[in-house]
This record gives sequence, structure tokens and C-alpha cells, in this order.
Amino acid sequence: MAENGLKGGEQQISNGREAFTDGTSWRDIRSYTDCVMLFAAAILFLFGLAVIHSASISFYAPGDMAVSGSLARQAVWGIGSAVIYIAVIKTDYRNIMSVSAFLFVGMVIVFVLLLLAGHSAKGAQRWFDLGILRFQPSELGKVIFALALAKFCTLFPLDTLKGVLFSFCVAGLAILPIMLQPDLGSSLVYAVMFFAVFIAAGAPKKLLFGLIGVAAALLPLLWFAMKPYQRMRMMVFIDPSVDPQGAGYNVIQSRIAVGSGGLLGKGFLQGTQGKLHFLPEPHTDFIFSVFAEEFGFIGCVAVLLLFGILIYRILNVGEHTKDASARLLCVAIAAWLWFQVMESVAMSMGLAPVTGIPLPLFSYGGSSLIVVSLGLALVQSVNIVSQKSKF
Amino acid sequence: MIVGITKKIAYFYRIRFLKWCVVFSLLLLTAGLFNFQVIQSWQYVDLASRNRLRILRISPPRGNIVDANGSPVAINVRTFNLCCYPIELKKGNNMKVTADLLARYGVSMTEEKLEKLVQKQYSAPYRSITVATNITFSQLTQMIMDNDFKKALFPMVVWKRTYPARSLAAHVVGYVSEITREELQTKAEGDYVGGDIIGKNGIEGVYEDILRGTAGEEVIEVDAKGRKVRDISYTEPKKGANIKLTIDLEAQQYAAELIGKYRGSIVAMDVNDGSVKCLYSSPSYDPNPLTWGISTEEWMNLTDRRERPMMNRAISGAYPPASTFKVVTGAALLEHGIATSHTTVNCPGYFELGDRRFRCWKHSGHGKENIIKALRDSCDVYFYDLASRMGIDKLTETAAKFGVGSKSGIDLLGEASGTIAGREWKKKRIKESWYGGDTVNYSIGQGYVLMTPVQILRVYSAIANGGRMLKPRIYADAPTEEKTLDISSEVLKLLKVGIVEVGSVGTGKRASAYGVNVAGKTGTAQNSHGDDHAWFVGYAPVDKPRYAVVAIAEAGKGGSAVAAPIVGKMLNYLLNGTVTKTENQENK
Repeated sequence: MAENGLKGGEQQISNGREAFTDGTSWRDIRSYTDCVMLFAAAILFLFGLAVIHSASISFYAPGDMAVSGSLARQAVWGIGSAVIYIAVIKTDYRNIMSVSAFLFVGMVIVFVLLLLAGHSAKGAQRWFDLGILRFQPSELGKVIFALALAKFCTLFPLDTLKGVLFSFCVAGLAILPIMLQPDLGSSLVYAVMFFAVFIAAGAPKKLLFGLIGVAAALLPLLWFAMKPYQRMRMMVFIDPSVDPQGAGYNVIQSRIAVGSGGLLGKGFLQGTQGKLHFLPEPHTDFIFSVFAEEFGFIGCVAVLLLFGILIYRILNVGEHTKDASARLLCVAIAAWLWFQVMESVAMSMGLAPVTGIPLPLFSYGGSSLIVVSLGLALVQSVNIVSQKSKF
Repeated sequence: MIVGITKKIAYFYRIRFLKWCVVFSLLLLTAGLFNFQVIQSWQYVDLASRNRLRILRISPPRGNIVDANGSPVAINVRTFNLCCYPIELKKGNNMKVTADLLARYGVSMTEEKLEKLVQKQYSAPYRSITVATNITFSQLTQMIMDNDFKKALFPMVVWKRTYPARSLAAHVVGYVSEITREELQTKAEGDYVGGDIIGKNGIEGVYEDILRGTAGEEVIEVDAKGRKVRDISYTEPKKGANIKLTIDLEAQQYAAELIGKYRGSIVAMDVNDGSVKCLYSSPSYDPNPLTWGISTEEWMNLTDRRERPMMNRAISGAYPPASTFKVVTGAALLEHGIATSHTTVNCPGYFELGDRRFRCWKHSGHGKENIIKALRDSCDVYFYDLASRMGIDKLTETAAKFGVGSKSGIDLLGEASGTIAGREWKKKRIKESWYGGDTVNYSIGQGYVLMTPVQILRVYSAIANGGRMLKPRIYADAPTEEKTLDISSEVLKLLKVGIVEVGSVGTGKRASAYGVNVAGKTGTAQNSHGDDHAWFVGYAPVDKPRYAVVAIAEAGKGGSAVAAPIVGKMLNYLLNGTVTKTENQENK
């Protein structure tokens, strides 16, 4: 019986390509939602709101505790994200997965268009100006990339040469335009997602080690592809005192913020590094430094624990689903969030080079928040569907 | 189906592996955070506070120095430095506006000069720099009324040291100036910072710790661009304590008149408590330019001339004591039993040692002389003869008791210890044995023995007060310090009789011509570079001594003619308050 059920589950995927489901019923959503995952994400978002508030108000007007513009906007984005979260779950991930090929093609086209006509922000072309929202396609691309990877790697298993080559083509189509923007940080996120899917999809170990070797060999070549400001970031990562008033300044100030937070932190709204603008971009790139300064080691451990729970649960969902493409989807999303957390936190301590990668759920910004909630919604949807099929 | 299951298990392990990767990497991050936030946290807490706090040091005003009568010797004048932030100057045309403003109010400044000044001091963009110094209060009030002032400038109070007595007490009071790098290194960490003012000489140097006061501190919080966000704390600077001197400025004034154009010095001391009433070194100098900024030419005048005005001759000038030393030789003879009050020596006008002939100053000779007559007439042969018999070792032994070769301990910087010489000294310094002729010269204070005026003054004070070797002092609140002179009182009494005779009928009787009878001794020190130096050291009143005074006039030729009247007049002034003007003085 159990074997039959298993088989039935696998049958479903191959069918899933052709037939759209009717979406998930409210009853199923109520019954099978993984609340741990949902609450971990919600708490992280609320933490993020608090830090954005702290990073936005300044000491210039100590009496002015009014809600800052950034905080209000982020809250609105949060509501929007919640709506999208529910909408995605209601839609059922399988319906989205079935159009992922079109989405992927569209994404690559947009990336190429962006290369030709993007807005330049700090020397990199990453933005599309859509009036009220300066949208960053490489953010939305992360979800589409996760869907497409999951789909293609299931369709063309990685134990065949064809499958491997195909997956490389898919990854290359997404990563190359982003690298050329150049948005090194995002392209690294894509690469990590790709590698994690490779592992999870059961690629031969030889191939995995080969991939690591090739990546290591290509690393020096990356240097030549980098813009001067990126090279400087690498230099100051190795030694911040190379340019203490320039590129190294951020690294030094951020480490001071984190270190001076101490065990218990300076207290909410009491961080001086963020408040007095020693930290650049305190509510986006360096938001974790602001948090670490005010909430200390204890607060940082709490946040890392929440992220750990979230990512662990995502992998759990992947582990327990019978749908192979859904499994890879969960792995890709977990890898994406994991890498951004790692990079953001390590960067705040000066243990990783400065990149513009946001801390998921924390950093100020609509694109990032919406896209993360899209990803989490897809995982939740996988969870609900697989939980439901269990019974 | 079997394949499907193994595949499934493979996926299972792969995802398990990824889970472990996540756990492990997050633990690594936690370890990193633990390192920075717990283990090394103190370091970053410190860095963060240094980041945001600017500590401005507020120099305290120094304590005032006044003379024995309360007249100011060193006081503070409030002046202003004009400061600004380079960032402010660079806004719009502020550079030009500010330069013009300064030029309008008498500070020589152009836009180019200002720009250079900014570049020179530009270390951190929001650290303030100084663009003008020594601005007086009235200048400042005029400038502040100008609308352009507020655009970039702000005033900072600077206390400037001023010496109203100018050259009269320069050697006593010393001067202050900015601390040097070398001085900074010798001070305890945090006591001084670069740019601090420190006493360099005289009372300013010796009593630096009393006069200095405690620096105040203003702590402000700044943002990343250095803009002031708010005040954190303010500690008022504490003014240094005032110091009252034993010196009498009028006596200094009188001493300056008495010594006139001679190089030399006059020192007067209370023989009962060691307080110095007058200490004047000629030529003197005005210490004010040294604290307010001195031109190269002025500095050359102060240091490079043969006059050496900055040298305090009263304590740093080591001269042959000449005949003033005869009391020391006399004491040695009597103490060691070589002579008694009855021992006589016949003076034929010379003394022969081997084939060398040493002349008495009176070539015709003094005839029979005992100790009292020998002192009165300043007969050289008496001392030549008896000292030769006694030998140098006993003589230096007694000389050491009188403080020859050791510092008097006066509370001034740069005191010389003179030279007591002796056999070993000569072997070491000149690589020669001590000859009999050396003892002969030594016995009348010539040859190798060298003393400072203050040392000689101390010897005669001890004779006057019956055997108390006092430490001279200039700070009125300093305790009296003394050592008992290890010479029998009979010997001291005999010497006293001798020097009283000098002042009444002997070589120093001119000292007693100005209203008070003086006991003392003349001296004429041979000077290989020119005319002889004239000495006189004496005390008064004779029966109940109060003050001892020493005077040396370099190249003054005769002790009795030049130095004795100076001492007599000074003692008269100190005891009776009368200033004597005579033709003798106008002659110089």
C-alpha cells in the first residue's frame, strides 16, 4: 500500500506538467500550514522592522520618535508580502511550477534588457524604474531561477551527460547577465543555489568535486571581471587598513558596531555607530551591524537561531515531499536564504567582502521582502500539498 | 522500484548533508560573533566611544606668583585664539570672507595664507584649527560685532603668562613655554599633552606642579562627519595655586641699579631662615617674549652673546672664591690644630715653596699675623704657609663641610655645584698629581676651587648664625631646611671676630660706609680672560646678624672698591629701607 502511495505521488509530478490543479482549499491551508516556519519568518520580519526604525531615526531630534518613512514603507511592503504569501499558497506551487519555463525565458530576456538599459546605482545596473517602485529583477529572478532549476533538473536527471549540460546552460543563462551587470553578490547567490540543487538532485560526487575545482580555478579570473570598486572591496576585506577612510571604512566601522554591542547590546535605539552615521546604509546592507550593536551577542544568537529554524524547516519540507521537483525547489530556496544570511552576518564582522546582498526579511526594501515571501510561500505550499497527500 | 527506493535514500542523505551544512555554518557564525562581541568586545567598545566622543582639553590658568609684598611677578592675561572648522571655511566664499575679516582687524592674513594654514593642520575634516592667536579681548569684541565673524570663526580662551616685573626677576621666576617632545616623554602618561604649557626655569619650573592647576575637559558627542550632536560632560579647569616669594621686587630693582652694567650677581639671604630676599643676575632679560612668541633675533640675543643673559650667575656661575675662601682655610687650620688664635706667621710679602715664590697681594708684607689679623688684612702668606703644612686633604675635608662642591639646594633650576677639587679629582680630570703649589693657591681660593655666589653666601650665613647651614629658599611657604655645620663654635667665633674686623678696619671697611656696620670679606678673583672679578660677602647687623649679602662683579677688579659698597648699600636697604645714591654708582 505504502509503495503504491509512493508511486502515486511520483505519478503526480509527471502529470503536474500537463494538468493545472484547482489550487489549495482554505481548509487544507488551515490544517497543514507549518506554523513554525511561518512564525519564524514573521518574527524575523518584526525584528527587521524594529532595526529599520532604529537605523532611520537619529539623535538630531531625540524627542522625535514618530514612525519614520522607511518603517512605514517597510510595513506596507510587509502587508503586501503577506497577501502575496497567501495568494501563492492558494494558487498551489504546482501551477506556478508548470509555467516556470516561460517565466525563466522571460527572466533571461529581462536580464538582457536590463544590461542594455538599466539605471546605474553605484556603478551597477540593477534597477528597473517602475514609477513608485524601483524594481530589482535579479531579486525576483531568484524565485524563478529556483523554480526553473527544480523543474529542469527533475526533467533531465543529473546522472546523464545531457542533464548536466542542460542544467549548466540554464544556470549560465541566469548567472552570466547578472555577473555582467555587474552584480557579483546576486550572481553568487545564484551559483550557490545551483550548487545546492546539484548536491540534492543526486549529481555524481566526481562531478561535484570537479565543479568545486573549476570554481576555485576560475576565482582568479573573477578579479579581472571586477570593477575597480569591487576590487577595492576585496582588498579591504583582506586588510581594512588599506583604505581606512574609504572602502575599508565600512568594514572597520561595521566591526566596531558589532563588537561594541557586547554580550547584551547597547539597547534598542541606543546604538551609536548606526545612529551617528558611522555605518553606511544602516537599514539595508549593514542592518545586521545595527542589530548586533543594539541587541548584542544574545540578540544575534536569537536571530541566527530563527534563521536556522527557518532554513532547517525548509529543508525538512524538501526532505518529506514526494515531489522530486518540489524537493529541489525547497533546496534552492534554502540555499538562497542561507547564503544571504551567511554573507550578511559575516560581512558585518568583516569576515566576508562587502556585497550589496540584503539580509532576508530584515533589510529595508520592497523587492527583497516580496521575493523572500514568494519563496517562503512556495515552500509552504509544497508543505501543505505533501502533508495533505500523506493522509 | 528498488532503484526508486535507493534513489530516495540517496536524496534523503543528500538533504541530511545540507542540513548539517546549515547547522555547522550557523555555528561558525555564532563563534565569530562570540569572538567579536564577547571576547574582544572591550576593544570595540573603546573604539566606538572614541569614534563618537571628542574630548576637548581646557587648559587651566596657572597660579599667580607674587613677591614678598604681594606685588605681581607672574600673572595670566586672557587672550583668544580664533578657531574654525576647515569644512566651514570651504563653504562658499568663506575662505575669502574670513581672510578679509582678519586682515580688517589687524591680523596679517590673506586668502592664500589661510588656505595654507588649513592644509597644514588638516588632519580630520571636523577637527578645529587655529587661524589667529594672541587676540585681545577688545580686539575680539570688535570682531564679533562683524557679521562675517560668525560664518566660520569662533574664539577659544587662552591664558597667556605675563611677567609684569619683566627683567627684574627673570632669573628667579623663570618662564613658561610649550612642552617639548622630550619633556612629554619624561612625564607620566596623560599628565601632559602636546601643546600644553610647562614651566621651564626658575620658580615656574621648580613649582610646576603647584602652579599648573588641573586641566578641564569638555566631552561632546559627534556624528560620523564630526558635527557636534550633544554635550556629554564638562569639567571646569582648576586654576593652579598661587605662590608667594620671599623675594622683594624693590630689592631686585635696587640690586639692578647697584650692579649697573657689570656682569655678575647680587644675592641676599635671611641668615636665620634661609629665605632669599634678593637674587639678581646681571645682565637680565625680559621673559615675556619667551612665552608670547619670540623672534629669531631676540632668541639670538638671549643665547648667543657673551653676556649670556639667560644664565643665572647667582647659582650657575662658578668662580674662584678668592679671598672670601680664607674663612674656610682658616676654619680648617683651627679645626685640625695647625693653628690656634695665638699662632703667628711672619709675612715678608711672599712665601717660598721649593724654588717657587708665591706673592702676598701686599708686596711689602704684613709682618707678624695671627688668624684674626690675617683675615682682617687678607694676608695671603699666613694661609699659604699654614695650609702647606696642613696639606690639601684636611683642607678639602673642611671645605666639604662648608658645602664647597655641593649644591646649596636652592629652589631654582640649573644650580651648579662648583668644584672642590683635591688629589683624586686632579688625577682624574687633569691626569696629574697634586703639587704643593696647588695647595698654596687653593688656600686663598684660587686655582682649582670654584664656587657659586650662593655657595659663598651660605658659608658666611653659617658663620653669622653660629653654625647653621641653611638651604636657601625662594618659595615663602617652603619649610626652612638646615644642617648643622660640623665646626666647633670656638672656631666660628674666631672667624667671626676676624670678619668683623674686616668690615670695621680691614679691607672691607667701605662696606660699612652706608649706614650699617658690616662683617664680611673681600675677594679679588684672578681672571685669566681679563680683569679680576670683585667679590664681597658680608652680613649685618654685626652683633645680631639678620641678612647676608654676596656680590660679584665680573671684571670689577677690586673687591673692596667695587663689591663692598654694593653689599653695604644692600644691607642698609634690607635693614633700614634706605636707598643710597652715591657718585660711585654713577661712575659705572
